[in-house]
Amino acid sequence: MRLSDRRFALYLMTPAALFLAVFVAYPLLRLVADSFYKISPLAGGSREFIGLANYAEAFTSEAFMGAGWRTLAYTLIVVTLEFSLGLGMALLFTALGKRSQIWRTVFLYPLMIAPIVAGLLWKFLMIDNFGLVGTVLHRAGLVSDPNQIGWLSDPSIVLFSVAIPDIWLTTSFMCLVLFAGLQNIPGDLIEAARLDGARAPALLFRIILPLLRPVIAVALVVRGIDAARAFDVILIQTNGGPDSASETMSLLIYRTMIRFGDPGLASAMGTIYLIAMLAVAFVAVTTIWRPGKDS
Amino acid sequence: MSSLETSKSDLKQQTPEYRPGHSGVAASASVGASTGRIPVPRLPRRKGRNREGLEAGKRSTRTLLWIVLAAALVIYGFPFVYLVLTSFKTPIDTIAVPPTILPSEWTLENYTSALGRSGVLASMINSVQTAIVSTLLSLVLAVPAAYGITRYKTPSGQVFIMAALVTRMVPPVAIGIPLASMMSAVGLADTPIALAIAHTTISLPLSIWLMASFFEAVPRDLEEAATVDGCSRLGALWRVVIPVVSGGIAVTAIFAFLASWNEFLFALLMTAVRSQTTPVVIANFQTQFGLDWGSMTALAAVFSIPVILLTLLLQRHIVAGMTLGAVKG
Repeated sequence: MRLSDRRFALYLMTPAALFLAVFVAYPLLRLVADSFYKISPLAGGSREFIGLANYAEAFTSEAFMGAGWRTLAYTLIVVTLEFSLGLGMALLFTALGKRSQIWRTVFLYPLMIAPIVAGLLWKFLMIDNFGLVGTVLHRAGLVSDPNQIGWLSDPSIVLFSVAIPDIWLTTSFMCLVLFAGLQNIPGDLIEAARLDGARAPALLFRIILPLLRPVIAVALVVRGIDAARAFDVILIQTNGGPDSASETMSLLIYRTMIRFGDPGLASAMGTIYLIAMLAVAFVAVTTIWRPGKDS
Repeated sequence: MSSLETSKSDLKQQTPEYRPGHSGVAASASVGASTGRIPVPRLPRRKGRNREGLEAGKRSTRTLLWIVLAAALVIYGFPFVYLVLTSFKTPIDTIAVPPTILPSEWTLENYTSALGRSGVLASMINSVQTAIVSTLLSLVLAVPAAYGITRYKTPSGQVFIMAALVTRMVPPVAIGIPLASMMSAVGLADTPIALAIAHTTISLPLSIWLMASFFEAVPRDLEEAATVDGCSRLGALWRVVIPVVSGGIAVTAIFAFLASWNEFLFALLMTAVRSQTTPVVIANFQTQFGLDWGSMTALAAVFSIPVILLTLLLQRHIVAGMTLGAVKG
């Protein structure tokens, strides 16, 4: 009575698969199902089937479309800045070699800080009046008044300001991954290019970046998906304000559910959001990630 | 294609003997250990000023780069230092205009008032409880699953690891709402158990991925030898393979713990007073009691410093996990 290997493997995977089915797949199905109903937020409230009306409402609502664009913009801001800073730091650590190792560790510390703490901390730094950032810029002579830049109160720049803690938290991650990639570039390749007279920019754009392409792709996808789901840092800093100028998709769905008490509409928005994320993930996985192919 | 693969194949070629109780993978994949390590062909390493590859050669360039690094580290490190310094200021100093960096008078007032507030200590106990339950749950589910996936390359395993990956893409807000109503339907509303389960939906896919990478590096001969010696497959897993990957299990545990410890959205949706975790309490400081920055910074410091110390202590393992999780494939 020996189990076949195939069956044995299946048994090993079953508990985890069941867990994900019950606590991820089933809630998602409920989310999709709820999106077709008008639901009263009160416990035991009414539930009325309204077909695609919630979707129609979502797509015609300015808040929803706005949140979609803001989520995209936020993701681009975070990923672009993190990538540039992370690559810069990774190159710096590589150039300095072994003796910078301890500082590489120190550089990692924000990764362990809770996003909620990072959000509050930066809110404290950027807040009007007693925020340190304004004062420092003022002392440095860059602005005429410490409150000249309303980091979190000016709708035109708030989306950038709320991204700062996120960038601060995870640039280390980008740096770490790119650094690991840089270690795998053969030294003789770089030396050969140098002997051929390649200068630093050519070295970077013609050799280093193309060789790092797979690592860069994965790092960008991982961080892009995380940034598109950002919730904690924004909620704690601005709660989506002022004038919804920093309201991204996660926040809008949360507020539609909790504040405006419309679970049906929130579910429809959640479903659209989910489908968009899965579509992006699918494209990313099939084109660059290819898990399981490495064995 | 990635650093992981190269270092993995390196490992297989170079270290036939295994060190139980210490993860070979973690050591070899860790950035610390792979500094200046160049995969095949391995060049002889020259010492002194004559550096190879991307390392800066000229003394003046290096000095300049060190200065840049120092500046970057100061800017990067300062925000948290400022948080800690602020936590020792008097409440009035905290919101002084213009702000000062150092406290004019050092005091523990913020700590006593933050920790003395009702619900704060309870929330820390909740946080620890939730994180431990969630970590154990993740490990118990992920270790066998990852082993099944990597050791027996069945089609179902491949489908499963893809599904686990897709789960990582799901926005938490999309499952948080239905999950919260499911939990209250079965009478688990506002319990650490319900929150631990919710946190496991985040950490389980990550744990499966990490553990799969660690199992991948264990040579098949190891458990084949064990089964020839009369061990059952389960026995071989438990007695031979698990000890070899124990370092990897530690890495996975750290990540699962951190995912739960720092999580906010599920905690906000699924807990009320009884099982509130510290992140929710910290967030409440700013709405409930006005802008009590002093207490907030004190509690944030108490909440974050143990985790930062943990990072510094276990940095090798953490770096290994990060790079594995990201550079996978």
